[in-house]
Amino acid sequence: MIITDNLTKKYGAHTALDHLNLNVNAGEIYCLLGANGAGKTTTINLLLGFIEPTSGSAFINQLNVKDDAKATKRFLAYIPENLMLYPNLTAVENLDYFSGIAGKTLSKSDLKAFLEEAGLQAEAFQNRIATFSKGMRQKVGIAIALAKEAKVLLLDEPTSGLDPKASNEFGLLLQQLRSKGVATLMATHDLFRAKEVGSHIGIMKDGQLKQQFVAEDISLSELEQAYLNTMDYKELAS
Amino acid sequence: MITKTFLKETKELLREGRVRITVIIVLMLLGVAVWISARQYQNVNAQYAMAKTAERAIWDNQGEKNPHSAAHYGTYAFKPKYPLSLVDQGVDKYAGTSIFLEAHKRNEAQFSAAADQTGLARFGDLTPDFILLFIIPLLIILLGYNSFTKEREMGTLTLLKSQGISSWKWLMGKWIALFFPIFIITALMFLVAGIVLNNLNDFGVFRWDSLLMMFVVYLGYYIIFINIVLLISSVTKKSGISLVVSLSIWILACLAAPKAASNIAESKHPYPTRQEFAANVLKDKKQGLDGHNPWSKEAKLLETQVLQEYGVDSLHQLPFNFDGYRMQKGEEHEAEVYFKHYNYLKEQFTQQSKVYRGLAAISPYLPTRFLSMALAHTDYATHWDFADAAEAYRINAQKFLNDNFAENSSYGEWSYRADAETWKELPAFDYDPPKLESILDQNASNMGILGVWLVASFGILLFTTKTV
Amino acid sequence: MLSYNFKYELKLLLRSRWIQLLSVVLLLLFGFSAFNGMEKVEKRKNDIIAAKLEVEENDKLMLQLLDSVERGLAVSVPRWTIPSNPMAVGNYHPRVAAMEPQPMAFIATGQADLFTHYVKPTVSGDDFALNFTEMTSPVQLLFGSFDLAFVIIYLLPLLIIAFSYNVLSAEKESGSLRLLAAQPIGIQNWVLQKLGLRFFWLAILVITVLTVVLVVLGINPFSEVAIYSGLLGLVLAYMLFWFAVAFLVNLWVGSSAKNAVAMLGLWVVFVLLVPSVLNQLGNTLYPMPSRSLMINEMRSMKAEVTEKQDEILDNFLRDHPEYAINDTTQQRGFYHRYMASQKLVKEEMAPLISSYEEQLRNQQNWIGKFKWLSPAIIAQESLNKMAGTATEDYEGFRKQVVGFAGKWREHLMPFLYNNQDFSQADYDALPRFTYQNETELQFGGLGILLALSLVLFATGIFGYKKLSGAGILDQA
Repeated sequence: MIITDNLTKKYGAHTALDHLNLNVNAGEIYCLLGANGAGKTTTINLLLGFIEPTSGSAFINQLNVKDDAKATKRFLAYIPENLMLYPNLTAVENLDYFSGIAGKTLSKSDLKAFLEEAGLQAEAFQNRIATFSKGMRQKVGIAIALAKEAKVLLLDEPTSGLDPKASNEFGLLLQQLRSKGVATLMATHDLFRAKEVGSHIGIMKDGQLKQQFVAEDISLSELEQAYLNTMDYKELAS
Repeated sequence: MITKTFLKETKELLREGRVRITVIIVLMLLGVAVWISARQYQNVNAQYAMAKTAERAIWDNQGEKNPHSAAHYGTYAFKPKYPLSLVDQGVDKYAGTSIFLEAHKRNEAQFSAAADQTGLARFGDLTPDFILLFIIPLLIILLGYNSFTKEREMGTLTLLKSQGISSWKWLMGKWIALFFPIFIITALMFLVAGIVLNNLNDFGVFRWDSLLMMFVVYLGYYIIFINIVLLISSVTKKSGISLVVSLSIWILACLAAPKAASNIAESKHPYPTRQEFAANVLKDKKQGLDGHNPWSKEAKLLETQVLQEYGVDSLHQLPFNFDGYRMQKGEEHEAEVYFKHYNYLKEQFTQQSKVYRGLAAISPYLPTRFLSMALAHTDYATHWDFADAAEAYRINAQKFLNDNFAENSSYGEWSYRADAETWKELPAFDYDPPKLESILDQNASNMGILGVWLVASFGILLFTTKTV
Repeated sequence: MLSYNFKYELKLLLRSRWIQLLSVVLLLLFGFSAFNGMEKVEKRKNDIIAAKLEVEENDKLMLQLLDSVERGLAVSVPRWTIPSNPMAVGNYHPRVAAMEPQPMAFIATGQADLFTHYVKPTVSGDDFALNFTEMTSPVQLLFGSFDLAFVIIYLLPLLIIAFSYNVLSAEKESGSLRLLAAQPIGIQNWVLQKLGLRFFWLAILVITVLTVVLVVLGINPFSEVAIYSGLLGLVLAYMLFWFAVAFLVNLWVGSSAKNAVAMLGLWVVFVLLVPSVLNQLGNTLYPMPSRSLMINEMRSMKAEVTEKQDEILDNFLRDHPEYAINDTTQQRGFYHRYMASQKLVKEEMAPLISSYEEQLRNQQNWIGKFKWLSPAIIAQESLNKMAGTATEDYEGFRKQVVGFAGKWREHLMPFLYNNQDFSQADYDALPRFTYQNETELQFGGLGILLALSLVLFATGIFGYKKLSGAGILDQA
């Protein structure tokens, strides 16, 4: 579903992303770990077509992002780190608007069903987004993904700034989507959540993918050790 | 503390591209405006000098003529352009430049430049006053709208507060940082204008103290704007809102208020139309003595009076030509009629000025505009002054001619011709504009309003920023 | 996408109170300005009526006098004002040459505050010295009038700027842009739709408020459907231009503050700077000859002519034998010489006078060539023309009056030179003046505005692809 082929992005002399090769299949959750500036957000921006690669290509559902940016967006949903919706519109209206401009016409009851599926409490449906917490906004974001029947989900630091309970609920939601066959790429700092929800985990540094694991094959402490090793914090680790 | 804030703000301004570009553009516009105005000023004055000498020559060389024919032939008074019109053109474009001085009639100044231009002229001209009055306040808004809001938006406000700043000193630093560039630009412009004027020839009216006074007026105007902009920036939450509010104030003060004031002034205190005015004058003239009509009731009355006074029983026995005497008396009656009707116009003008002063409460632009024009001798009051001087000259000239007629000929001697040299004896028309002191005196109320604006805006600014 | 944008844009505009605010502001601005315009037109009409009434009453007196004279009765007026003398009729009983307001005169003051709307040309006056300027305080001329044209040309763009400067940048600054850009839509298309919808709603507001204001003020805008729809078309085209500017600025400039500054800068350029620079250049390239020097010339010519009055009269009569044919007395007085001299002065001065007209025409042509540089000029010109208050209208009026003055003179000349008395029977044949509005409605201005807007929109749509995404999504 998500494939990158030697994907590279350079800003002048600085290489933000260096020959990245990724493959996320349907029903997989790939968690990208790495420090700030490791290239996680660049990867997501490239997959979204917000920026153009210097070399290499990115594919969503077998379509080259560079050539068919608009078409690929039919299949993907994206939740930025700080998801902002229209504060003067209600949850239902925001969902209606975003799925509407993406080409999905939904009835009132459908809209509510999606919000419910995303875990938003029914009392909040008709409230304006201005009153929502980040966790609630993210649920609306998930509802947008559900309504769109997205095959690919791109997440940028979705759990940062969430309290542990909200973070846990979010993890459960991702598992539900996974069972529906959605391919998810999630950039995160959160090792714990990556181990919890991810099916695959990659560690990035300086624009390169340094290590990859299958989540089931590794324990949380081994993952932490590997992460610190990659970051060159060897003395700390030993 | 004040200097630290000043230096930091100035650095921030200097490092912003939009500020540099805008300042350069404003300076360029000012340069072009001064250049154009200087050229125009020289042009108009050359024409003025030429027209004045030529007209005098025409008058002097009339040859032998009956003095009353010369009175009908008349002469012209031309209005010169004053040096500070280089800075503020005022109403010059809309006021006539020449007055025909003839027997029996007070004429209005004719031939305004605007009447000879296309409709485009009504958009305004690229002159220094346009930039001083409109563009620099806009520049102030551009430089200062986010002075406080940016600290909120970047979150540096809380940091600053935790440093235990005194809000008064903080404000002063920001105020000076905004005032400084404006002061430099304005001072530069006035300095250049002063040097240009000092080096242009053929006038003795230019005075540095008038220019300095004008500079002070404009600085006051800018300080008011700086206060308003900073005030808005300190009470609004977002830069965008601060910008929009400041701009609305600018539109209101500089564009909408003057136009609205002109509409209100006109509908409350209208001028008669030119034809109406002429008809009213004619009606009043008919009520009195007509110098050309010896058969009218008033003429007969005058006749008996004069005969009685001199104790003679025939006009032929009078020691002067009664025709000339009657002419002069008629002239005096007509002058009175004009005096009355022009006083009515002046009364309307005074009432209109009151409307403008009233609306100055919502627009610091209005008192500044009026003060600036007055200092530049390009305001309406100076135009009135000129017209009055021309009328006084006309009355004297008529007396000179009628007396000549009365004294040198006998009753009924219409064939009398005055000597060709007579005309040179009439002194030339000369007009001195009001002095700086009397201008300031007359515009005391405008100065007062500007002062109130200044004090009030400072007060409110200090009061509100205490709680930032 | 359009239907969803349509549905939610209105909701957002209503909830952020934009629509309500705009309605109130437009109502106030249109109301006040239209009221001002109406007041001026009302005054103009009344002045003309009063002037005509005065002439009517004077005419009654004149006919009474004529009646007395014809019946050989004595009259108690100065000899030279007795209307049996044709020159007395020509000088003391002139006709009113009035320029009645056009039906839409209230929309733009134009040159109406500068020029007079009626004059009474006399036989002995100089045509070129006829004063066509109105007696107004020059302060009022300087400040101008708060008319509909001012609201439309100056203030409406500022409302549009406030309404549209941050359509895209606000999304960027609040963060919703990244979510939007992740949808299968083109961003410039989305901006275009948003602005299009705002244009649509503003247009509806403008049309509604304007129509309501006019109806409340007692003008039926539909009595002049062609002009009214022309007016609305022009206003919409002018608005469209500013929305096109907003479109480009939104796509290219970036942050809200920068957008606002850029659009404001463009406003200053289009509305304030370009017109004044064009005017200044026009004056420099085609300078008006000095009026003071014209006065000198006229004076010396008159002095010359006065000296040769008898000779001139002889020449004149030789050229016009028809004038003296029916005259048996062959009396020659002051007016015979004077009128002949005047005619000569007029002919001699003609080239100088026409040089003013020519320079004015040159300036007008110069502006015509470059007016597309500023939509404000186009809008102002078109509005003035609709209102019948443009420079051309007053020029036309001037020409018609000068023509009429000639007619008036020529009508009375045979009486003078034939030494024939003016009688009651001749009264009905006196020429009368009716003003002909010569400018036809043109939609050229509208066309230029639409073309300019189209160019800007096309630049946005096609030019933006090359820069796809440049800047706007780099950093959230």
